[in-house]
Amino acid sequence: MPDNSDATEEGVRARADLLTALVLVALGLAVVYLSWTMPRLEARHIHPATIPGLVPLFLGIGLTCCGGLLLWRSWRIKAPGGWQSLFGLLRTRETLRIGVVLGLALIHTLVLVGLIPFWAAAMLFIFAFIMIFETWLNEEPAEPLKSLCWALAIAVVGGGGIYLVFERIFLVRLP
Amino acid sequence: MEGLVLLGQGIVHFLTPWSLFNVAWATLLGVTIGILPGLTATMGVALLVTLTYKMAPDQAILTLMCVYLGAIYGGSRTAILLNIPGTPANAAAALDGHPLAQQGKAGLAMGLATTSSTLGTMVGIFFLAIIAPLLSEAALKFGSYEFFWLALFGVVISGQMTGSDTPLKGYIAGILGLLVAMVGMETLHAHQRFTFGIAALGGGIDLIPAMVGAFGLAEILSTMKRKVTGHVAPVNDRVIPTLREIFQYWRTIIRSGIIGTFIGIIPGVGEDVGSWSSYAAAKRASKHPEEFGKGSQEGLIAAETGDNAVVSAAMIPTLTLALPGSAAAAVLIAAMLIHGVRPGPMLMVENAPFLYQIVAMLLLATIANLIFGLSLTKLFIKVLVVPRERLMAVIYILCVVGSFAITQRMFDVYVMLVFGAVGFLMREMKYPMAPLVLGIVLGDLLDLNLRRGLALTQGDPSPFFTRPISAVICLIIMATILMSIPPVGKRVRGLFGRKGAEQPSSP
Repeated sequence: MPDNSDATEEGVRARADLLTALVLVALGLAVVYLSWTMPRLEARHIHPATIPGLVPLFLGIGLTCCGGLLLWRSWRIKAPGGWQSLFGLLRTRETLRIGVVLGLALIHTLVLVGLIPFWAAAMLFIFAFIMIFETWLNEEPAEPLKSLCWALAIAVVGGGGIYLVFERIFLVRLP
Repeated sequence: MEGLVLLGQGIVHFLTPWSLFNVAWATLLGVTIGILPGLTATMGVALLVTLTYKMAPDQAILTLMCVYLGAIYGGSRTAILLNIPGTPANAAAALDGHPLAQQGKAGLAMGLATTSSTLGTMVGIFFLAIIAPLLSEAALKFGSYEFFWLALFGVVISGQMTGSDTPLKGYIAGILGLLVAMVGMETLHAHQRFTFGIAALGGGIDLIPAMVGAFGLAEILSTMKRKVTGHVAPVNDRVIPTLREIFQYWRTIIRSGIIGTFIGIIPGVGEDVGSWSSYAAAKRASKHPEEFGKGSQEGLIAAETGDNAVVSAAMIPTLTLALPGSAAAAVLIAAMLIHGVRPGPMLMVENAPFLYQIVAMLLLATIANLIFGLSLTKLFIKVLVVPRERLMAVIYILCVVGSFAITQRMFDVYVMLVFGAVGFLMREMKYPMAPLVLGIVLGDLLDLNLRRGLALTQGDPSPFFTRPISAVICLIIMATILMSIPPVGKRVRGLFGRKGAEQPSSP
């Protein structure tokens, strides 16, 4: 069984590498183009070997080459069912958990911060985070009342504590 | 002799109640961070930069150093009791530490890990005090040509040694890091590159928000991906080992300390590689290699001596060449710059006592580790069972604060979010983070010195290849890249007639 799951994981990684390699080659070529077309500051009479685009150009070429090699390497790995397994990852509970963390982080940082005071946004985030992961996304039997008490306590102590320690004691400005 | 006087002064400098108070709380915090799976030393140091922002420079660096060393040590607790490495540096310690705990020797395993961590740090400190001043003096002769190659060497060697899947991924991570460093105003002609009209990008991408994202948010995502429950092994035996139990492996301790020191000196190759390399060498040299992985005390000692020696030794290139010896050392460089301390060859000229203060900091931190490690066993076991859902929510808020506070712009928080998401994806696909970080730190050094060198010679690149030190570093880089090509590497190893050591790849 473990051998089988290892093979699946390798297949998924080979296909993920293939996709990433395509992105890297595209990024490398874009960097090469942008570096090549970057102003060469002729009006300032700088030496042509010191143009601002020189190092990015080399890096772009390096990235394209490494991306190309990765593409070749992952293309050669036989991974039957690799694509299905890779896209199957999008429907797993793990992806849902990651999506929820990212979603909560984005709501906190892009929406709540600036709209309400930082300490309130922090408390709301901590409360929602704990409640979601200890009830809805809990893989063990949930204890909603216990989680509610803990979530409230940690939200108040955590959110309030960070505000007090940073802004009041260490005099660090918060968002 | 002058060095000894400066070292004495460095130690006396920190023997004040305020400094000792900082050592105590920062070490405890560091150990706690190390114990908690999902919180790494680099993350702890990156988050703490904000908290130490308003402190005096020496106290701030002292605090960060204690957190760094404490976290690397603390991770061994989790490895032994839960079989989950507290930080990546402790993965090798779990191989023998946990079987020892299962045999009812959890206390002994923790005691051995604590004492070998201290001894590892001591070996590293010894070499730091000896090598750093010499290297610093030698580095004064380095010009643009040598610094260009050193920067490239850092990224290449880090990519080669940390790419667990293939060195190619290490190189890609390094190039991506260097590209990130290209964003913003370049220092030779003050031209803005890759800003696309976004004013906030003009100053470039700051290291701290990037690190908080790559090591903080990415770590939160990795930890929250699935719920991991581990059974904490009971501790019923004594924690303090006898001198015989430790020093019967004195050869392993010295060997692992030297290996850890060597790995620490190599830029961007962190504690995890030091730990695995020491472990593999101890297994090869041991009279009982069959016990390794089944509860070998020698294996545990090798792993823990190796990773802690890296911490001290990582300060050698960090302080003398401004090349970070590990990812956490990169954050330390950023913290030093924030506090007006400029690491590099001029440090010994401008601020020689500081180097010895660093030695004193490491000494105090490791003594604190030893005292807390052998006395607060029960408290640290309680930390182990903190539910991660509750902790990670608070850590995210600290990530936001940590990335915002230095320059006080929301743009840096967005940088943290982007680096967190991208860093998580890269980790999932086995791209190492250390070369990325090294690329960001060394990008400017590499770019500036290449073009400055070419400007000095009116475009003639020959000094890059003909100056003796440049030529040597260039040859090492070439050899490293060639060795990472599988057929070439296999042939070269074949020439030496030795089978490739069966060293487990670092996670």
